Amino acid sequence: MLKMTHLSKVYRTEVVETYALRDFNINVNEGEFVAVTGPSGSGKTTFLTIAGLLETFTGGQYHLDGVEVSNLNDNERSRIRNEKIGFIFQAFNLIPDLNVFDNVEVPLRYRGMKAAERKERIMHSLERVGLASRAKHYPAELSGGQQQRVAIARALAGSPRLLLADEPTGNLDTQMARGVMELLEEIHREGATIVMVTHDPELAARAQRNVHIIDGQVVDLAEDPRFHHSVMAARANSPA
Amino acid sequence: MQIKPILSALRRHKAGTFLIAMQIALTLAIVCNALFIIEQRLAHLSEPSGVDEANIFVVQNEWVGSSTAEQADAKIREDLRVLRELPGVQDATPSNSYPLRGGGWDDAVKLKPDQLQDSSGATIYFADDHFLDTLGLKLAAGRNFRAEEITPMNVRDRLGPPVVMVTKALADKLFPGEDAVGRTLYLIGGPSTIVGVVDLLQAQSVDRWASAFAYRSVIVPKRLAISLGAFYIVRARPGQLQAAMRAAPTALFQHNPRRIINEDDGVLSFAEVRARAYERDRGMAILMGVICVVLLAITAAGIVGLTSFWVGQRRRQIGVRRALGATRQDILQYFLTENLLISCGGALVGTVLAVAINLWLVTRFEMHRLSLMYVLGGVVILLLLGQGAVLAPAMRASRVPPVEATRSV
Repeated sequence: MLKMTHLSKVYRTEVVETYALRDFNINVNEGEFVAVTGPSGSGKTTFLTIAGLLETFTGGQYHLDGVEVSNLNDNERSRIRNEKIGFIFQAFNLIPDLNVFDNVEVPLRYRGMKAAERKERIMHSLERVGLASRAKHYPAELSGGQQQRVAIARALAGSPRLLLADEPTGNLDTQMARGVMELLEEIHREGATIVMVTHDPELAARAQRNVHIIDGQVVDLAEDPRFHHSVMAARANSPA
Repeated sequence: MQIKPILSALRRHKAGTFLIAMQIALTLAIVCNALFIIEQRLAHLSEPSGVDEANIFVVQNEWVGSSTAEQADAKIREDLRVLRELPGVQDATPSNSYPLRGGGWDDAVKLKPDQLQDSSGATIYFADDHFLDTLGLKLAAGRNFRAEEITPMNVRDRLGPPVVMVTKALADKLFPGEDAVGRTLYLIGGPSTIVGVVDLLQAQSVDRWASAFAYRSVIVPKRLAISLGAFYIVRARPGQLQAAMRAAPTALFQHNPRRIINEDDGVLSFAEVRARAYERDRGMAILMGVICVVLLAITAAGIVGLTSFWVGQRRRQIGVRRALGATRQDILQYFLTENLLISCGGALVGTVLAVAINLWLVTRFEMHRLSLMYVLGGVVILLLLGQGAVLAPAMRASRVPPVEATRSV
């Protein structure tokens, strides 16, 4: 589903080159739930933005759903983002001027979908996250957890092949975070491929697989003993 | 189309939307009426005088000292002889006024002596048998005055010559569908028989009050013999206008130095006469044009400012839309459509305002009713202006990268 080979991302200024990702390799299979972890500044978010075609990369190869994406133009990248990828952001990123229904509708409109199909998908997605009754509410009228559920509904409405989540519970309290995480697990059980960036060892422990990044490269989790220990402890305590 | 979500978003930004829509409405209302006034003024400016403007000039002669009517008439005839003998002059005629002068003699014309209501108003032009040739006028019917019919006239005399010529516009008014030659009309001094009909001759005034008889004139076979002075209308030979204008006052002074011909406006070409006559109209048209340009520029600046502000404010939102699959064209289209919706709302209100302002002007200043073409034209101008003004900030918005969605505020 997602395969990056020897991928690099370099930020250049006049005096310095900074490698955000270096010789980065990852392979995520269809139906997997992968947690990408690592300390701050390790390159997690850069990985996610490149994986979501929000940014280009400097070198290497990236195949998404079998398509090499490095040569795609801006319109083709937009189309792939719209049709194959669902985004869940830490800050929810709902559009404050639109109500819940219209927010979920945004990616569907860019797909040129007919109104009747849009409505059916939106209501189905909102029912799935338990917010169908809030369709006419504006984001500011919802709690953080509810807003993230709307963001998940928006990501799901387009039936993406890949769900990318950037610290999806980072702005939520424990109870709301648990609810969102359970929702993601449920979505995964239904067959979705999920790549979740997190720095929380407890959330990482609930994924099928952990990919740990340090200094822009994928490393063995054991190379970060403290985080490794936290993940192991969380796994041991989880109900399985 | 994204109309519904755009309208939803605009409802959340009522103040900015309302202000810019009202600015568009006011601009439309004022620009429509201003353009209409400009068109009216320009149409007024281009009304034909009927005379050979390219070759005509006017000499305003004032006598020094007093003289009897007979002496004044003799001096006028002498001056005319001097002028007609100049090599660059084709002909010359004396008159009390001339088209576009903005002063002269206007009078009531009746068809019966005991008629209570006037049949028409008309400009009265004093003329000799050289009047038609000098002004380059065409006879539509009848004949010119004969030399023996021309008589001097003092200001105390009552005007009632045995024969007159009239303009076709007056003839059509007095005798619609009939031949005016041989018919009788009454001026203040008595009956006059119409011997000729002149095709086209504009009145002496171009002001609104004279518009009812703008082309209705009575030409009387008189020389205004008064001690004050007289107008000499002179027609230069083709291509010799400037030379004749220089030669005329010199020759007149050589013949009789006891006169005043003002250096500034004693000798005027007809082009200068026209420019002076329509100075206010031209000034009004320019003022209205400047107002239109300034208003349109302010409105465009307002649209650019507001859209730039909104683009800056919604940068992250644009990034989110791009992340969710919007192309650059989608973002560009979003802002263009948003502006179009605001402009359409403003144009709708502006149309009502434009008609209301025009109705007020019609009742207060007797203006013409605004043509709907001007409203439609104004709407198109405003919509195009809006789209043009929003283009630069919208292009800037379309360049916001999708990764903006992941950046913290």
